[in-house]
Amino acid sequence: MIDDLIASALALTVPIALAALGGAIHRRSGIVNIGLDSHMLTGAFIGALISGLFGSWILGAIAGMLAGGVTGLIMSLLITRLKGNEIIVGLGFNIVTLGAIGYLLRAVFGVSGTLQVPGLQRLPALDIPGIDKVPVLGAILSGQTPLFWVCVLLVPVLAWSLRNTAWGIRLRATGASEPAATSLGLRTLRIRDSAGILAGALAGLGGVALSLGAVGLFNENMTAGRGYVALAAFYFGRSRPLPTALACVLFGFFDALQIQLQTVGGFSPDIIGTLPYIAVVLVLALTGVREYRRSARKVS
Amino acid sequence: MTSTTSHTAPVSPDAPNVRDSLTGRLLVTFVRVARHAGLPVVIALIVGAIVLSVTGYDAFNVYGSLTTEAFGSASRINATLAAATPLLFTGIAAAFAYRAGVFTVGVEGSFVLGGLTAAVLGANMGGLPPALAITIPLLGAAVAGTLVALIPAILRAFWAVDEVVTTLMFNFIVIGLAGWSVQAFFQQRGQANSATAYVSDSAVLPALAPPGQVNWALVIGLALLIGYAVWMRYSTLGFEFRAVGSAPRFSIAQGLRVRNVLLLALLGAGLIGGLGGGTHALGIVGRYSAGFSASFGFTGIAIALLARFNPIGILVGAILFGALNSAGATVQLFINLPVQLIDILEGTVMVLAVATFIVPAWWKRRATRSRGGKA
Repeated sequence: MIDDLIASALALTVPIALAALGGAIHRRSGIVNIGLDSHMLTGAFIGALISGLFGSWILGAIAGMLAGGVTGLIMSLLITRLKGNEIIVGLGFNIVTLGAIGYLLRAVFGVSGTLQVPGLQRLPALDIPGIDKVPVLGAILSGQTPLFWVCVLLVPVLAWSLRNTAWGIRLRATGASEPAATSLGLRTLRIRDSAGILAGALAGLGGVALSLGAVGLFNENMTAGRGYVALAAFYFGRSRPLPTALACVLFGFFDALQIQLQTVGGFSPDIIGTLPYIAVVLVLALTGVREYRRSARKVS
Repeated sequence: MTSTTSHTAPVSPDAPNVRDSLTGRLLVTFVRVARHAGLPVVIALIVGAIVLSVTGYDAFNVYGSLTTEAFGSASRINATLAAATPLLFTGIAAAFAYRAGVFTVGVEGSFVLGGLTAAVLGANMGGLPPALAITIPLLGAAVAGTLVALIPAILRAFWAVDEVVTTLMFNFIVIGLAGWSVQAFFQQRGQANSATAYVSDSAVLPALAPPGQVNWALVIGLALLIGYAVWMRYSTLGFEFRAVGSAPRFSIAQGLRVRNVLLLALLGAGLIGGLGGGTHALGIVGRYSAGFSASFGFTGIAIALLARFNPIGILVGAILFGALNSAGATVQLFINLPVQLIDILEGTVMVLAVATFIVPAWWKRRATRSRGGKA
């Protein structure tokens, strides 16, 4: 029971965590990415198509990631070059992508909503002999998809790059104060575009984890607002990689609990589904009040 | 550590229109609406045409049938206006808050909870005369819509907590709570999908031209629009909204009631959104069911932005998007066109509504040179 819960919680964490890490990087560069859902959906769609076409999950994952990166770039260009408001562009982008993919499914593939790609290869589960028999540890480490391990690797890599690489420092400088960064000669728009591409690519990979994960098909509603949960996660984790990833584990756990309780009955999935959002409002309220108090004291 | 960014409304309103005559004023307004909304709409139509051509449809043919389906006959115009009604409310709600520079995306949540409240109250209005049976649910809807905005409003006004994220989160919280409460308390027996009971006959907003769907909600919406126009132009508070929206620090220095304005902007948007949901429940749907709002709150944002918060622009935008929705729903029956085309068009318009179209550098150079030559 507990092993099942852990395994399904982590499986549900991976798509959200990939998207949230991308969103956190984008946020550090100063842009709130509301369009994560659209990048995830694109990645899931293209990933499923390419995996079916070549019968290879690796190619599917790469294609999904690239597709997400392309939508991330387009969205970023609209924000940086056409000065579109990031929130509105993100919301609009989600509507366009959902519409475009739904349209393609019906007009080109002749299906309504769900696409079964023939020959699709799902993500393999990597069993680790020896550990898979250990109760809790086995459920955590064994039987996970490669994307789980990508996610685990990404957390320290991203944290390190933000702290130590030129790109990371410039990115944070851009986010901290765009005018100051520009005056020092940084190409802030280009830096933000790079963060946008990364956010899109990681969210696209998160989408691949959905479509090539447990079920191995594509559905136009398969992200089910996970892009917004990812948004909640990086707000909850204050845009730092490790706290963001841990927030995703928490939300993944809520999700798994909801599915388990659905079979048992008693708890409403709707209520559990709202927990990430309530958590974010609480965190924003608490940090907001604290910062307000602190700045008020400074003034007086 | 990330610093908390505070957002302001994505576009700023035009300078007040100072023509003396009514016709002159209307003319200026229409030119402005066309200028702001024209390019996004045209580009969206081109994008749609490309998508249509690539997938083997004749774009002109499709746009032609969309136009006929939207405005071709009295009954189709009726359907378009019915589809425009909820958008009129959400558009006004968004514009109301954006005037004060408050960037709410929470109208969707207010619309949903307003609709649920009106549906539940309306189903229990059996013995009352229509005047009361309609007023009570609508009042309830307005209160419910305001309540949705209450926490983000307090957080914004007193502790400067970014309202974009809190209102966005409250949409999801409210939609989840609404779904749960319908299943737990208000579900109508004998119905497979989770929906409330239909409202009592006396609580139904009467149709203006039966059998068409347009009903008194449109009248309420238009009255609200006129009220918004008058309030914005002639009231002290309307002036304060504009001042806080365009120069918040200056307004604080001048002793304007900035905190009140912020509170009122968010609560007012919630109230109008809730009222919109209430009229939608009593007038069109007759009950609350899952998927009650077809993203009306978000479309309302696009309308308010395209119109630059101008009342006439809001009306035009609501009718335009209403036409897309109503025509898109029926045209797919005739020419087997996926209705998702409408989402592509709407989303593109929304994205481009906030984009600044940069005049190419060579054009700008030429313009300055010719102006310099004349002077």
